[in-house]
Amino acid sequence: MSGDGVLTGPTVVDAIIARARAVPGAVAVAQWDEKITYSELVRRAALLAARLRELGVGPETRVGICLERRPALVVAVLGVLLSGGCYVPLDPAGPRLRLLDMAADSALDVVVCDQAGAAAVGEAMGDAAPRRIAVPEANEPAGPDPAGPAAVPACPATPDNLAYVLYTSGSTGRPKGVAVTHRNVMTFVTAWAAISGAGETTRALAVASLGFDVAVLDQLVPLAVGGTVLLADDADRADPARLRRFIAEHRVDWGFLTPAVLSLLDPAALPGWRTVMCGAESAPAELVNRWATPGRRFIHAYGPTETTVAATAGEVTAPQAGPVPIGYPLPGYRCHVVDERLRPVEPGAEGELLVGGPAVARGYIGRPATTAAVFVPDPFSGEPGARLYRTGDMVRYTPDGRLVFLGRRDGQVKIRGQRIEVGEVAAVLQEHPRVTQAAVEAVPRPGGGLELVAFLTPEDAPDDAGYAASRLTAAMLPARVLRLPELPVNASGKVDRARLRDLAAAGRPAGDVPEGTTTTERALAAIWRRLGVGADFFAGGGDSITAMRLVAAVRDELGLDVTVDDVFAGRTLPEIAARFDKAARRTEPELTRGSPPTLAPPQRRLWFLDQLAPDAAPYNIALARRLRGPLDREAMRAALRAVADRHDVLRWRIRQTAGVPYAVCEPPSDVDLPVTDLSGYGPAERDARLRTLLAAGAAAPLDLATAPPWRAWLYTLGPDEHVLALTLHHAVFDGWSVDVLYTDLAAAYAASAEGRTADLPPLRASYADYAVWRAERDLRDGAADLAWWTEHLRGAPTVLDLPRDRPRPAEQTYRGAQAFLALPAETGAAVRALAADLGATPAGVLLAGLGRLLHRLTGSADHVIGAVVADRRVAAFDDLVGFFIDMVPLRLRSGDEADFATQVRRATRELMDVAAHPAAPLERVVEELGIARDPSRAPLTQVMFNVLNLTEPRLDLPGLRGEEIDVDKPGSPFDLTVYVMERGGAFEIEFLYNPDLFDAARVDAMLADYANVVGALAANPDVAAGAVALPERLSPEAAPGAMRVAEPAVAPLPPVGAGTAATEELIAAIWREVLERDGFGPDDNFFDIGGNSLALAAVHARLCVRLGRELRMVDLFRYPNIRTLAAHLDTRADGPAGPTEAVNPEIARAASRAEARRNRTRRPRRPSTTGQENDHE
Amino acid sequence: MTDEQYVVVRNDEEQYSIWPAGRTLPAGWHDAGFGGARQDCLDHIETVWTDMRPLSLRQGG
Repeated sequence: MSGDGVLTGPTVVDAIIARARAVPGAVAVAQWDEKITYSELVRRAALLAARLRELGVGPETRVGICLERRPALVVAVLGVLLSGGCYVPLDPAGPRLRLLDMAADSALDVVVCDQAGAAAVGEAMGDAAPRRIAVPEANEPAGPDPAGPAAVPACPATPDNLAYVLYTSGSTGRPKGVAVTHRNVMTFVTAWAAISGAGETTRALAVASLGFDVAVLDQLVPLAVGGTVLLADDADRADPARLRRFIAEHRVDWGFLTPAVLSLLDPAALPGWRTVMCGAESAPAELVNRWATPGRRFIHAYGPTETTVAATAGEVTAPQAGPVPIGYPLPGYRCHVVDERLRPVEPGAEGELLVGGPAVARGYIGRPATTAAVFVPDPFSGEPGARLYRTGDMVRYTPDGRLVFLGRRDGQVKIRGQRIEVGEVAAVLQEHPRVTQAAVEAVPRPGGGLELVAFLTPEDAPDDAGYAASRLTAAMLPARVLRLPELPVNASGKVDRARLRDLAAAGRPAGDVPEGTTTTERALAAIWRRLGVGADFFAGGGDSITAMRLVAAVRDELGLDVTVDDVFAGRTLPEIAARFDKAARRTEPELTRGSPPTLAPPQRRLWFLDQLAPDAAPYNIALARRLRGPLDREAMRAALRAVADRHDVLRWRIRQTAGVPYAVCEPPSDVDLPVTDLSGYGPAERDARLRTLLAAGAAAPLDLATAPPWRAWLYTLGPDEHVLALTLHHAVFDGWSVDVLYTDLAAAYAASAEGRTADLPPLRASYADYAVWRAERDLRDGAADLAWWTEHLRGAPTVLDLPRDRPRPAEQTYRGAQAFLALPAETGAAVRALAADLGATPAGVLLAGLGRLLHRLTGSADHVIGAVVADRRVAAFDDLVGFFIDMVPLRLRSGDEADFATQVRRATRELMDVAAHPAAPLERVVEELGIARDPSRAPLTQVMFNVLNLTEPRLDLPGLRGEEIDVDKPGSPFDLTVYVMERGGAFEIEFLYNPDLFDAARVDAMLADYANVVGALAANPDVAAGAVALPERLSPEAAPGAMRVAEPAVAPLPPVGAGTAATEELIAAIWREVLERDGFGPDDNFFDIGGNSLALAAVHARLCVRLGRELRMVDLFRYPNIRTLAAHLDTRADGPAGPTEAVNPEIARAASRAEARRNRTRRPRRPSTTGQENDHE
Repeated sequence: MTDEQYVVVRNDEEQYSIWPAGRTLPAGWHDAGFGGARQDCLDHIETVWTDMRPLSLRQGG
């Protein structure tokens, strides 16, 4: 789009031709493999326009368009406009008599058709059918004048000539045609391009029927600014799974859907769709809250066809509660709220909306009285002779100048986004010879939305409205018919509409749904009833949207890969169930390829931990490789770049908006490889320096927001000896990734050294594809898996305090130190033998042994520790570098009574069970369990068990021999991590621990105790574990006074009541915004009222902005209620804090109250979305 | 509201509408010389507004 945002006029077709001259080779329209460039679009449209002019078409001539949804549709629209004519959309699948009515009303003489369109027109109109003309083919010669865009004759229409006529429901029984001019269209297109930010790079979703004016938005707006229209055909727009795939695979970033369709899609699966526009019916707050995620704009729009597509629009952000505002008047549009005598109401009062400005349509074709009634003189603008359109919609202004839609003034309703006059439907129904009277009411349907119910007299009137199907669209056709001897009337003699609505509710055919005999039938019947459908899907109130809902529900709940076609073809419950039975079971969600950067839940968790402790790097993974032989440094640089090129996750940045993280991908570039020469030192000095440098490189935090998530170094030890060191953030890497990285690095190095390009097979997916796949999987299985976890961990302890040497620091320090022990050979043999006997794994034996060690150290028989589970469940993920690891809580019961064999079986079973429920990530489990957060420790799991059964990584570089070097770990994410490795047939145990808690001597003793416990129990598996004699315990009891939390070294606790009311109110306001709820007090714990880690990050970001200073996120953990946080903030703001108080009574009281509350009752974790609901206590 | 009186009005583009009798006409609108109940006014418009194109378009085209 041109820099000043002004389109080249005077008509929209001129603007599109101007774009075609600027970007002739750009794709204008695409549908899967079929693409039309701008130059071809204009060439074919010009050819069509020339042929139409030969048929006498010019300004004010109406031309029908009756085409299937192929890219040629867009050529036809442009061709008619370019001829100077006005297009009239005719749906080839539409009711035939309605087509005839529209053709006659518009006096159509020419229709642009394809085969289906020609058949429809012929069927509807027979001998009276207008002339038919086809859209020029792509390969058709341009004729005598081989015109490129430069030579296209100008559009002969003036701004006040008609551009299109759209038929809407009229109350008289015949549709009425809204006549829209080029000036109207230009006003709308200019306004919409500006507010939606459409431009040359826009990839626009086009799903609206041409007969629905949103087609102007989703086709003409993108074309006017040089974007690409991605036109979904009928099959792709009728099925939610297909629509999702269409949007994902066409990389849509801008698109409009009605709320009913949008609600069937999952925002997490479509991260690239950055501008979501919704309207035609009011979007529910819940829908906005689901879609208005960070990095995505959500525009809510409103407007009648008579004011050209829209009248108001506004960006809305989550959270919303209650009616979602319809925004501000569009640029160039004027909105007035008036009473019934058309006088302005008080600001903020309810009234009818009138719309003025250059987008107000000319009127209704051939209907002077109807036009005069609703297009009225404009007393407000002062523009002579101007008109206002009376929308009939009741609205009010909010104090910030946005409009809120309140309802209709008259009998108009919206069914599936289509505006319908119930009077028109009744008038059509009444035409049947056996119908004396007809009335129609719209009533809520169980599945959401409205449905039409017809009331016909007398009692032997038709019992099905199907007879009117040739005149009524699918949305207009009543879902049900009730036959009455006469229509009820009220005291004033008018039809009693309230009584009709009661009859409609009472007459709902709930019992019509068969119960079903097969499993599929019974499950389907339950969904069927929920959607409020009768025995025959379509006769019983089903429609295309309900079919989409049914399919979505069956895919989610029954895991069957079904399509809308099954519903359309089957019609009845047993038939549809039979078709569904043949459908493939959806073992896993489909893998969508080409997803834009998208964070997976474990990445969000690590991002959050980085925010909490920005100076620590416990999640860095360090690799170092000694390379002997001549090294080609340039080839190594090229290879590093090639690896980053191939694995885009290595080029990600994780940024945030208002405390919510999102990923972006940087373009490929060279990877820094600083070289440090250590060859001048003697061997001992050299090795010491190397070790220090490697440790420093491993421990330096990687800033995920601003820098690459990995770094590389090269150390020169001699002419033919180097060390390649890599540090990668766990958020983009895991143990499995080492092999992938080394394999790809070796291939790229070898290729580069030989001066060729590496011939690696193409990747079958990207990390973002995994995140998208995972989001879908988690959505599908999350509730069930979460239920499993909460049941599994019911009553389990959430704190594990091992005896230690020092008080626990008030804030977790993430410092790390390591200790190793090789299990004695006979112990290793016993472990292996027992595992073989029991059909278990050595890991199961070592895990059960760890349980007994913990029992020995803490005296408890029930512990929760952490474990890792790999989530590479699809073969396409095997070749990827990335973070595919879930941290899961693992429950160990290690009492004295059960024998060790039983405990090993249980532990092995536990390892399998926790791997089978991956759809509920750790933070959801923590949240669901209502675990109190504490900055001094990791939530739920403080001890970790990690089996490394990976093979020794190989990096085979030509001419170089290599070996792995152990690098000191950069930090300890937990109090203690127990690594178990099998190397050369022996078991090695490594303890990674936090030296701020444990002395090295204690850790060595614990390691020895572990080996002793495992050795003794593996040799005596069949007696009660408590009865097995163990060697004397080596690790000491806790040091005196160590089993408490230390007083904080920094940020002393604030004095009581130091927080001002203003600060408390500020915090409360932010909580309300973030948690979308009200009704908490100043002493309520954030995590007790629906808060979680990511919500805390959002609160943190907002607080920093509003206070205008940086706050430590960890302080929000330390002061988890409003009163103490306000006191902390105000104390800090006022200058040097007062003397440290050992125990702040205020905080202690708040904590004990929170604790008492947790014990009394478990509140629902999900906050109310209405914001109205109060505390449940 | 049903017994309220209206007048038929017309602007310079010869577009017709109705307006409550007795209220000041907005700029650019003129009394077309017919008054009565709302429906009567609309019925009158149905008979006199035969070419709904704006005047400038009719003259230009």
